[in-house]
Amino acid sequence: MAAVATMPVSDLLKSFKLKTKQQELLIRVSILCLVYILAFITRLFSVLRYESMIHEFDPYFNYRTTLYLTQNGFYDFWNWFDYESWYPLGRIVGGTLYPGLMITAALIYRILHFLRFAVHIREVCVLTAPFFASNTTLVAYFFGKEIWDTGAGLVAAILISVCPGYISRSVAGSYDNEGVAIFALLFTFYLFVKAVNTGSLAWSLASAFGYFYMVSAWGGYVFIINLIPLYVLVLLITGRYSMRLYVAYNCMYVLGMLLAMQIRFVGFQHVQSGEHMAAMGVFFLMQVFYFLDWVKHMLSDTKLFQAFLRITVTCAVAVGTIALGLGMLSGYISPWTGRFYSLLDPTYAKDHIPIIASVSEHQPTAWSSFMFDFHILLFLFPAGLYFCFKRLSDATIFIVMYGLTSMYFAGVMVRLILVATPAVCLISSIAVSATVKNLTVLLRSKNKGVQTGSTKGSSSSKASSKALLDQSQPFQKNGAIALLFGAFYLLSKYATHCTWVTSEAYSSPSIVLAARGAHGNRVIFDDYREAYFWLRQNTPPDAKVMSWWDYGYQITAMGNRTVIVDNNTWNNTHIATVGRAMSSYEDEAIEIMRSLDVNYVLVVFGGVTGYSSDDINKFLWMVRIGGGVFPVIKEPDYLVNGEYRVDKGAAPKMLNCLMYKLCYYRFGEMLTEYGKPPGYDRARGVEIGNKDIKLEHLEEAFTTSNWIVRIYKVKPPNNRW
Amino acid sequence: MSQKTRMAPKPDPQSVSTAADASAQVSMDPFFHILKLVPYSFLRPPRLRLKLPSFSLPSAMTVFSLILLTYFMVVSGFIYDVIVEPPGIGSTQDPATGAVRPIVFLPGRVNGQYIIEGLSSGFMFVLGGIGIVLLDLGLDKNRARSIKVSYSIAGISSIVIAYVMTTLFIRIKIPGYLG
Repeated sequence: MAAVATMPVSDLLKSFKLKTKQQELLIRVSILCLVYILAFITRLFSVLRYESMIHEFDPYFNYRTTLYLTQNGFYDFWNWFDYESWYPLGRIVGGTLYPGLMITAALIYRILHFLRFAVHIREVCVLTAPFFASNTTLVAYFFGKEIWDTGAGLVAAILISVCPGYISRSVAGSYDNEGVAIFALLFTFYLFVKAVNTGSLAWSLASAFGYFYMVSAWGGYVFIINLIPLYVLVLLITGRYSMRLYVAYNCMYVLGMLLAMQIRFVGFQHVQSGEHMAAMGVFFLMQVFYFLDWVKHMLSDTKLFQAFLRITVTCAVAVGTIALGLGMLSGYISPWTGRFYSLLDPTYAKDHIPIIASVSEHQPTAWSSFMFDFHILLFLFPAGLYFCFKRLSDATIFIVMYGLTSMYFAGVMVRLILVATPAVCLISSIAVSATVKNLTVLLRSKNKGVQTGSTKGSSSSKASSKALLDQSQPFQKNGAIALLFGAFYLLSKYATHCTWVTSEAYSSPSIVLAARGAHGNRVIFDDYREAYFWLRQNTPPDAKVMSWWDYGYQITAMGNRTVIVDNNTWNNTHIATVGRAMSSYEDEAIEIMRSLDVNYVLVVFGGVTGYSSDDINKFLWMVRIGGGVFPVIKEPDYLVNGEYRVDKGAAPKMLNCLMYKLCYYRFGEMLTEYGKPPGYDRARGVEIGNKDIKLEHLEEAFTTSNWIVRIYKVKPPNNRW
Repeated sequence: MSQKTRMAPKPDPQSVSTAADASAQVSMDPFFHILKLVPYSFLRPPRLRLKLPSFSLPSAMTVFSLILLTYFMVVSGFIYDVIVEPPGIGSTQDPATGAVRPIVFLPGRVNGQYIIEGLSSGFMFVLGGIGIVLLDLGLDKNRARSIKVSYSIAGISSIVIAYVMTTLFIRIKIPGYLG
């Protein structure tokens, strides 16, 4: 103490020296802060490259509804009937959307305005998804702490902050339900596992509210309401029934179901739809288990109890089956809807529902998509499963089930890699944490061995074995250090991969296209917004625009005009009518367009720029969907020997249908590429067949600067002839 | 209800309780009574030495190996193969000689594959996973040293091979990978 008093600087340092526990807390908190910031900023590529705008198609509808909510208040939003889309049917918006995302964004907007930050609602919408991604990393930390230990929690937070599977749907600008829903999903699961681990009523209540938030946010809540009963069933089968499980599941199911019915879009589905019946069945099974447990507790007579058990189980199963059968036969319980049924039977959508099969996100997953979105997590996932199986508990059983079911669904549909990402990150973090722990234990054990050897003193045999051990110890220590460096190398490659994928693949706004010019410079095509603003400024306010359903939301949001069909795709016949109009000859199409009161037709054409997601490439889907409702449209009419062509050898119906004429009008005179004849389609790589196109009932209104969007006006019928 | 609570904690000796148990079993089961009456009062069941199959849960590691198999199938794009039905391996014609050359990796798209490339990549992923498992087994304390060393070496080499091959595959598949 006297020595300390004479050196004031070291005295200061010693007073700052933290105990180990405090050091650990400081490290943990600083890592979580850095991860929080990292998750936010890695999603900002497109905002830095282009500008703060909404991407894709669906987010434009969400933005429009959020705008309506902030301008008109909650009750007008909840009772909104939108007459500007699906002309002439209109759409009951309040009853056909999941309001969680809009209400969250509006709440953040209100809070910021209360704090006197006058931000525009668009900025809030653009940055909602990265904000919730950062929150997801925190939830992942707590979840990892719950199922394994704090080390696994930290690694889980780090892995999920940059994982491309999650980033793909939560970049800044991707204002879609999934941005909020994944946070709600992981939060609900965490609260439920916490409730099962502690058996506390408070945590079960919290998980019910978490489930309510998830139901309000996304249609994927069906995954939760089926996974949790499946998990409870597995626990019952493996003999892990306990009072904690009983309290947790009952509270969550009953309260969650009642809360979920507050959302109009969901309505009474929890008691009427076949997809929710598993939860109800498990609920009643839990009551039977509790009853049997209570009877067993009352009877001390095992033989009597066995007989009682047999009778009760038989009766319960019989009653349950009869009730389910009656429900399904009478039609009260509806069968699984097409979207979810195609997850169980992947071939169903291809044969029966072309609208679902046509979306590119709904295709099954190839190995390269997995590799792209997960990288080394694909190695760590089976290793993590192994560690979970080594140390089975209620929580690890849950994460294993979540991981397996979500990986299967991710294999069926590319879009669902998003749902699998939190599970894969958590299980991989267990593998990383357990392996690193093994290696560091090896590093530390050498010192302990030397100490015990020196303090205990040793006989000759012990000395010789210690000598052997001492000889191998430095080798083991070096080996452990090398392996730790190897692990660090792999994780750093993971981070590099994730950042590259985010920057190159997942940060494009889709509404603004970019390409590399001849000299390597970046060329931007802003044709979509050019066309929508032309619509907004040059057409009468009550004009109706017919286009393929992909562009409906954008036309309504940015062009502010009424559309015939949009991305909601709730009315297949209406879409089929538009598809029929696009694939008919001009004379038949004009009848359909006059009956729908169409004023303008909008098509997307990529022949000049080589843009491959244009309407000609989507045309066969229009034929299939139209042909599904109107048998007069037959797909083989548009194909030649089963092949889809637009050049001279194309089918005559193809060369004269409305879509072909509208896309290639005046294109025959256009020189698109050096050394190729005029009318060379760069997206298909062929010279078009029919260059001399004359339009009788439509006239060209506008073509954007790169010919990507073309708008035609429907001429009124002839006065005299 | 009160009768049950009085009946339950009977401190009877074993023989009386077993007799009571036997009588309780015989008298309680209604199905037994019905069956005793209807076919089996005039039919004589033969003496069989059958046992109901006892259903025991499989061990954790058995389940794990089954799961590893399904993981291999999912990750190699098995569902994609079933639905899209791509060829096992692609082919192209060499413009100069006219010979048909095989193409292993489907070029141009991230979400597309041939069957063989899917299976080989899936195998690499599972190999990497098994490598980490072997490494953990090799660091386990309760084994002989030589086994530990061989497990560790096998684990490390599996991980290295799997990582190198997977990076190679993705580089072939996506030409612009990593800048």
